[in-house]
Amino acid sequence: MKFRAKLVDAACLNNFTRVSNMIAKLAKTCTLRISPDKLNFILSDKVANGGVSMWCELEQENFFSEFQMEGVSAENNAIYLELTSENLSRALKTAQNARVLKIKLTNKHFPCLTVSIELLSVSSSSRVVTHDIPVKVIPRKLWKDLQEPTVPDADVSIYLPVLKTMKSIVEKMKNISNHLIIEANLNGELNLKIETELVCVTTHFKDLGNPPLASENASQDRNSEQMAEVHIDIRKLLQFLAGQQVNPTKATCNIVKNKIVHFDLLHEDVSLQYFIPALS
Amino acid sequence: MNSCRSAYGCVLFSPVFFQHYQWSTSVKMNDGDTISNLNCKLGMKSILPIFRCLNSLERNVEKCKIFTRSDKCKVVIQFFCRHGIKRIHNLCFQESQPLQVIFEKNMCSNTLVIQPRVLAEATVLFTSSQEEVTLAVTPLNVCIKSSNEESMDLTNSVYSEMFVGPDEFDFYQIGVNTEITFCFKELKGMLTFSEATHAPIAIHFDFPGKPMALSIDDMLLEANFILATLADEPSRASSPQSLCLSQKRKRSELIHSNSEAGKNVTSKDAEYISRKAVPKRLYSETRTKVSSSENRGSPLTERANRDISEVPESSVSDTEEVPGSSHLRKFSRMFFGAVSSDQQEHFNHPFHSLATASDSEEDVNNGSFSTF
Repeated sequence: MKFRAKLVDAACLNNFTRVSNMIAKLAKTCTLRISPDKLNFILSDKVANGGVSMWCELEQENFFSEFQMEGVSAENNAIYLELTSENLSRALKTAQNARVLKIKLTNKHFPCLTVSIELLSVSSSSRVVTHDIPVKVIPRKLWKDLQEPTVPDADVSIYLPVLKTMKSIVEKMKNISNHLIIEANLNGELNLKIETELVCVTTHFKDLGNPPLASENASQDRNSEQMAEVHIDIRKLLQFLAGQQVNPTKATCNIVKNKIVHFDLLHEDVSLQYFIPALS
Repeated sequence: MNSCRSAYGCVLFSPVFFQHYQWSTSVKMNDGDTISNLNCKLGMKSILPIFRCLNSLERNVEKCKIFTRSDKCKVVIQFFCRHGIKRIHNLCFQESQPLQVIFEKNMCSNTLVIQPRVLAEATVLFTSSQEEVTLAVTPLNVCIKSSNEESMDLTNSVYSEMFVGPDEFDFYQIGVNTEITFCFKELKGMLTFSEATHAPIAIHFDFPGKPMALSIDDMLLEANFILATLADEPSRASSPQSLCLSQKRKRSELIHSNSEAGKNVTSKDAEYISRKAVPKRLYSETRTKVSSSENRGSPLTERANRDISEVPESSVSDTEEVPGSSHLRKFSRMFFGAVSSDQQEHFNHPFHSLATASDSEEDVNNGSFSTF
């Protein structure tokens, strides 16, 4: 198993750092999948994660000037590593003014992702910073749990409002109750509802727009005013929103009635999918 | 001095730092007709909240006046704020004899002078949970890296290192290649302080086990922080020979640096200092060892420093395990000539006091840290 990649462009480095920061906010531990043309940050829907799952994908050639990898075997040309997300984002944070950033898979008594940074400094000599991030290699038999999740047939698909606004609202709602109801319809309306014995709070978002319906068998006579709703744990939504530092290029929310809510974001050239299951 | 006795800090403000500095001799004049300094200690918990909000202080306070009222054992801090508001804080102080560290900075074989900004950029590499860092130096470059104890779970912690070239330093003198390990938290604390002064930091050190000094010296203040460094495992036993050898040198240097109080240094002093040198924790075990080595005096030489600091350690390791301090045991104990309050003669030594009056500034400029 081999992996080495080199990053020289400052904008790419910023972008990669931002992705890593976002992942660190979304998942404490995640899986990094390295394949010949992609890098994926994966969180599988285990009970430990509260059923939340995440799939983040980026094309390696958009970031790295050099990229070489050799997977477990020729047929299974991929590497799955488990790491603590914060370790990577912290290492990248020290690469602010890097001339060159290199990442490679190494073995220093145990497998590590070594990030080595050559920093530009005022004087002639450059500073060399190295971080050895311990990782765990995930054996092939567990790979099946870490595949790209199938996008469910949504009852309603709607574009999300400005995430920052949504986040501040959800933050305040969290003080009232942990049980949040998300509902949306095909008329560009999205509601966030909190209901307790004493109080009911609803925030209405209008004129959001809906992406064109993908499947043909979406019933024609479906009332576009009809709301599809999901009851979820508000903290999971908040964690998702807190991870979005920048407003994405495109943000869609797909609701499967009473089952799951699926967020599909596109940050420039990085795609992020986040699934929050309904409260049982 | 921190609670585990592995770090010591001392900041001296020159009178220039203040707009008005007045020192009046206290009522009790001793036989020697020398000025007795006011040596007192104030609780950190009392002082910190007063000076805590730097921003609001800068905005509101026009003048700050600090004076003492020894009749009531109080230090009064008055803030004259905007809009005619006056805020007064009364703090009780306790008389105490300060601890004094004797450490010859200029005799260290390795000296580095660096801008605080560069050190700050190095500290960003490590997490706040990082306990110790190692500084490895060669004539070619300096490396600062995370240092992990054997008991730590290595598979979970990130190892980081940064190499810095000589041209990033204002002064670069490496006499001996070495790697010293010290407490990260203490370095960070010192760095926060130094960033406020913008003055370059001088780092003086030798070999592992010997304390290292971080100091700032500019017109307004002089600050010295002495940190303990991790000693190399193997040899702990002190060689009485080296102790004797350095005795003569010690005594003469003690007298030499004690320009003002030269006459007052007697063998009795040195003895007293040595007995108090042992940190309290190890006190019981090391009683016997200490009394046997007379005139340990001040370890103004490198070797003496290490040996003295190691004697208590070896006795501890021979006897029982001091609970909870196994981590501390590994750090060499720094030598402190702690002056006790029931020795009258020490009252007269400006040498021993931490708060100097303006007349002893020339001692400070000696380069020797030991004279105050």
